[in-house]
Amino acid sequence: MTLSPALILLLVPSFALAAFMVLGLYPYTLRRRQVHIIALLGGALPLLIMAPLTGLCAAGHCLGVVPIFTLTVGQSVVALALTLDPLGATIGLTVSAIGAAVLVYSITYMAATSLADLRRFFALMNLFLAAMLTMVLAGDSIVFFLGWELMGLCSYFLIAYNTTSAESITAGRKAFIMTRVADAYLLAALLLLFLHANSVRLDVLIPASATLDATMTIVIAALLLGGALGKSAQVPFHTWLPSAMAGPTPVSALLHSATMVAAGAFLLMRFAPLMQLAPAVQVAAAVLGVATAAYGAMSALFQQDVKRLLAYSSISQIGFMMLSLGVGAPEAAAAHFVMHAIFKSLLFLAAGDITHGCVEGTDLSSMRGAWTRKPVSYVAFVAGGASLAGLPMITAGWWSKEAILSAVQGFGAVGQVLWLGAVLTALLTGAYASRAIMIGLMPMRDSDMPHAGNVHRHEAPRTGTIWTNLPLMLLATGAIVAGVLVTPIMHFLGAEEPHASAFSVYVAAAAPLLGVGLALALVFVPRLSEGLRNVRAISRKARKMPRRGEGGPQSRFVRLALWLNWGMRFDGLYQVMFVRPFVKGVRWLNGYGSAPADPVGTWPMLALVWLQQKITAPLAPDWFDKLWMWGAAGVVRLWALVRRVQTGRVRDYGFAMAGGIAGLLLLVWGTP
Amino acid sequence: MTDTFLIGMLVLAAGLFAVGLFGVLARRAVLFQLLSLEVMLSGPSLAFVAAGARHGDPAGQGMFVLVLILAAAEVALGLALYLRMARTADVTDSDSIRDLRH
Repeated sequence: MTLSPALILLLVPSFALAAFMVLGLYPYTLRRRQVHIIALLGGALPLLIMAPLTGLCAAGHCLGVVPIFTLTVGQSVVALALTLDPLGATIGLTVSAIGAAVLVYSITYMAATSLADLRRFFALMNLFLAAMLTMVLAGDSIVFFLGWELMGLCSYFLIAYNTTSAESITAGRKAFIMTRVADAYLLAALLLLFLHANSVRLDVLIPASATLDATMTIVIAALLLGGALGKSAQVPFHTWLPSAMAGPTPVSALLHSATMVAAGAFLLMRFAPLMQLAPAVQVAAAVLGVATAAYGAMSALFQQDVKRLLAYSSISQIGFMMLSLGVGAPEAAAAHFVMHAIFKSLLFLAAGDITHGCVEGTDLSSMRGAWTRKPVSYVAFVAGGASLAGLPMITAGWWSKEAILSAVQGFGAVGQVLWLGAVLTALLTGAYASRAIMIGLMPMRDSDMPHAGNVHRHEAPRTGTIWTNLPLMLLATGAIVAGVLVTPIMHFLGAEEPHASAFSVYVAAAAPLLGVGLALALVFVPRLSEGLRNVRAISRKARKMPRRGEGGPQSRFVRLALWLNWGMRFDGLYQVMFVRPFVKGVRWLNGYGSAPADPVGTWPMLALVWLQQKITAPLAPDWFDKLWMWGAAGVVRLWALVRRVQTGRVRDYGFAMAGGIAGLLLLVWGTP
Repeated sequence: MTDTFLIGMLVLAAGLFAVGLFGVLARRAVLFQLLSLEVMLSGPSLAFVAAGARHGDPAGQGMFVLVLILAAAEVALGLALYLRMARTADVTDSDSIRDLRH
C-alpha cells in the first residue's frame, strides 16, 4: 500500500466509525454534551469530506478505484478497495447529508432519553453511517458485503432500541431474520461472481459478467434481485418495514426510509451492467417494482399511524426505483433515490416533531392541529408531502418520478402496462400524502392535548429548537428545489433524460392532483372518514382479541380499508406459512409439551437400547464380564485415590509444579 | 565481566526465583501471589541478561524482552481474573476458590 492523496476517501467512513468507537468505549464516562459533540463530529465530518470529493468528481476528476489492501491467496487476489465513481459520489453525498441532518435533529429529539441510552443511540447511528458509506464507496465485494451486513446489524439494534418493549424487540428480530434470508442470496451471488471472475474487485467482477453463460447470468441476476428485494422491503419481503417503525423516529428517518432501505436499489444500480444481461430478471424486477409500488400506496392510504403510513410509502417509492431499474434506467432510479431520501427523511423528521409527546403516540390523530402547534414542522411536512405526492413542476419528487415514468414509457409494449400501473400508483401517492397533510389542518381535539397526567415515553417535549428546525428547513428547501438537480444527476451518471410524449406528461401531472381530490374525499366526506374511524376502532380491538368477525358485519368499504390497513394480511400469511410451522418444529424438537425431549436423538437411542436388550443382555453376566467389571471397579477406586491429589488450592498446584520441575532438573543433571 | 561475576549473578537469579516461588507458595492473598510471580520471572530474566553479557551474545537481551512481554501478558490476564474473582470470592485467600475443582 502506497500513500496517495486518494486515500482521503478512506476518511469518509472513518470519522463516523471513530465516533462509534469512542461512544462505545463503555467504561469511559462521557457527559451528555460530550456525547453530542462526538456524535455530531462523526455525523458531519463525512459530509465535509464527501462534498468536495463529489465536487471534484462532478468536475471530471473522480478518484476512481483506491486500493487499500491486497492479499494474494494462491491464484486468487483479495484486493480490498474503495472507489469513487459518479454513482458512488451521488449516493454517498446524499447519505452523508441526510445522516448529518438526522443526527443534528436527534440532539433535541432524543433530549429526554437517559445518558446511557443516548450514547447507545448515537453510537449505533454513527456505526450505521460508517457502514452505509463503506458500502456505497466499496470497490470490492468483500467491503461491500461488510458494509451491507453492518447496516443490517445496526438496523436490528436500532429497531430494538427500546429494550423494555417486547414489541420493538420482536420487530427488530423480524427485520433481522427477513433481511438475513435475502442477504444469503446476495452472498451467493457475490460468491458465484467471485468464482467466475476470480477477483473480488467490482471493477473486474462486473465487466467479467459479460463472459458468463446465459443460465449463470440469470441465476446471479436473480440472486442479486432477491438480495435487493429483501433489503429494500419489496414484495414479498416487505413485511419487516412497517414493523420496523417501532424504532425511534430519527432511526426511521435515516435507516428505514431514506438510506438503508434504498440500499437494495443501490445494489442493482451498482450491478446494472450485469442486470442488463438478464432481460428476464429485469422484467421481473420491473413487474415486482410496480406491484410493490401499487401495494405500498394502497396500504398507505388506509394507515392510521403516520409512521406506518410513511413506511408503506417508502415501500411504494422504492418500488418506483425498482421499476426504473427494471426498465434499464438506473440513472433515473439514482435521481429518485436522492429525491426520495430528501423528502422522506424530511417527512419522518417533521412528523416526529409534530407527534412528539402526544398521548396517541404516532397515530394520525396526533397530527391534528399541527398548523397551530408546530408551524415550522408543519410547513416542512407539507413541503415533504407535496414532494412525495409529486405535485407537478413545483416539487422535487415530480421531476424524478417523471424521469422514471418517461423511462418506463420508452420500454415497449410491456412498458405501457407498467406505465399505467405507475401512474395509478402516483395518483394514490398523491392521495395518501395529502391525506396526512389535511389532517394536520384539522383542529385539535381536547383529548389529544399532551398533559402532565399521562405517562409517556417522551416526557416534556422540548422540540422546536434550532437543532430541529435547521435540518427541517434545509430538507424542506431541498424537497422543493432539488428537482433542478435531476437532469444534472442523470447527466453526471452518463445518461440523457428520457423524453416522453406531451400527453403522457399531462396524464402523469394530473394523477397527483386527482389524488389530492381523493384525499379530500377521504378526509372530509363524512361517510368515508367515519368508515376510516371505524377501521381504527376495529383494528385496535382486533389487536387485543384476534378473532375473525369481531364487531359484527361491516360495510364493504370498511372491510376493504381494514384489509389494506393490515397490509393485505401478508403478516398473517407468513405467520401461518413460515413462523408457526417453524416454531412448532422447534418446540417438537425440544420436547415441548407431551413429546419426548429431542425426538430425533431419542429414536436412535431407543433403538440401541432395544438392540442391547435383545442381543447382549441374554449373554451377561458370565465370568469374563465379572472379571472385567472387577477391573472397572478398580479404576473407580484408583480414581477416588488419585482425586485426593486435586485439592483445588493454587498453592498446592504451584508446589507440585515446582517439585516436578526440580525433579526434571535433577534428572537431566548428569546428562551431557 | 568475569566468571565470578556471572556465577554471582546466577546465584542472585536463583535467589530471586526462590524468593518468588516461596511467595507464591506461602502467600494466600491473590495479589501477593501475582507479585511473587513477577519476582519469580525476574530471576530467569537476570540470568539471561547476565549470561548474554558474559558471552557477548545479544540473544540474552532478546530473551529478556520476550520475558517482559510474557510478564506483561500474564499480569494483564492475572489482573483481569483478579477483578472477576473479587466479585465472587475472597481475594485475600486463594484457597477460597478451591470449589473450582468440582
